[in-house]
Amino acid sequence: MHSTDAQMVVLTVLADGPRHGYAINTAIEELTGRRLGPGSLYGALSRLEARGLIEPVTGDADGQDRQRTMRITDAGRTSLRAELEQLARVARAGLRALGADPA
Amino acid sequence: MSAPALIVALYPPAVRERWGDEIGREIAERGARSWPDAIGGAARLWLHPSDWPETAAGQTRRVLAVALFAVTGTDALLLRAAEPATGRWLGLILAGALLAAPRPPSRALRAVAAAAIRTLAAPATAGLALLLLANSGLVDHPAGPARVLLVAAYWAALTFITLRVWALTARIVRMGTAPSRRRLRAALLLVGAGTALAAGQSLLGGALLIAAALLLSAVAALHAGQDLHGR
Repeated sequence: MHSTDAQMVVLTVLADGPRHGYAINTAIEELTGRRLGPGSLYGALSRLEARGLIEPVTGDADGQDRQRTMRITDAGRTSLRAELEQLARVARAGLRALGADPA
Repeated sequence: MSAPALIVALYPPAVRERWGDEIGREIAERGARSWPDAIGGAARLWLHPSDWPETAAGQTRRVLAVALFAVTGTDALLLRAAEPATGRWLGLILAGALLAAPRPPSRALRAVAAAAIRTLAAPATAGLALLLLANSGLVDHPAGPARVLLVAAYWAALTFITLRVWALTARIVRMGTAPSRRRLRAALLLVGAGTALAAGQSLLGGALLIAAALLLSAVAALHAGQDLHGR
């Protein structure tokens, strides 16, 4: 999976509620049918946190199991909405070109 | 050290601090088939330092400065192993490294001097011993096992000196001011350009393995430098 795709899928899953890495990957598996590799998942989490699109849930990082629960930020929601709207436009155009009803 | 721990150690410190345990657990759980993705993920992150979250201000620049010195040291050893003409590019590479050199804090100059003496005393002794041996006349035309032993000692001493200089740099980076993003970017591009030119020269000289290693190092430095510009 391309790194920007991985980031979009992670954001999509986090838009549904805060999760830690393993739970994010489980939700991705339910959504797409396969889990991300560790390099793709944690690379995407690093990029999204560096860009301020996700953030750790305060106080959770010190938990005994050392799992960081992450949540989407307002900037993350805005970015995800823009990406999904663009994707929807492309999907509609593609379906129209194929003669299918985009509905 | 287990394979998951080794792979986690490949990640940049900021990522390791945050997700090292989770990455290790995923790798252990999914076994060897997860290794290519996990190793590729670490390599991609090193090529894109602007993707690293920061635990403290300037962490990325500090880590990159230390990494740059590690690359410079490796490049210097590779240049030494290549044909002599390749060494002409070392000046350019060292100029880049100097540009990224951390500035020691003025309030802690004594501490820096003490650290330098502690860190460099052993490699300086090793270098001096090697020099004395070379000029002693005892080993003018070594042959057989003596020759192998001397060549091994020579490379061991060079590697030891390189590692200790790198360790000192890492210590000063922790104590002092990290180079600015602009200076770091220029340093990476200079080191990358020098290493790429040296790779070309090695290729012309027929040293394919060394040329490939230098080319890999050049691409990494140039890519990371370019990525810093994009942030």
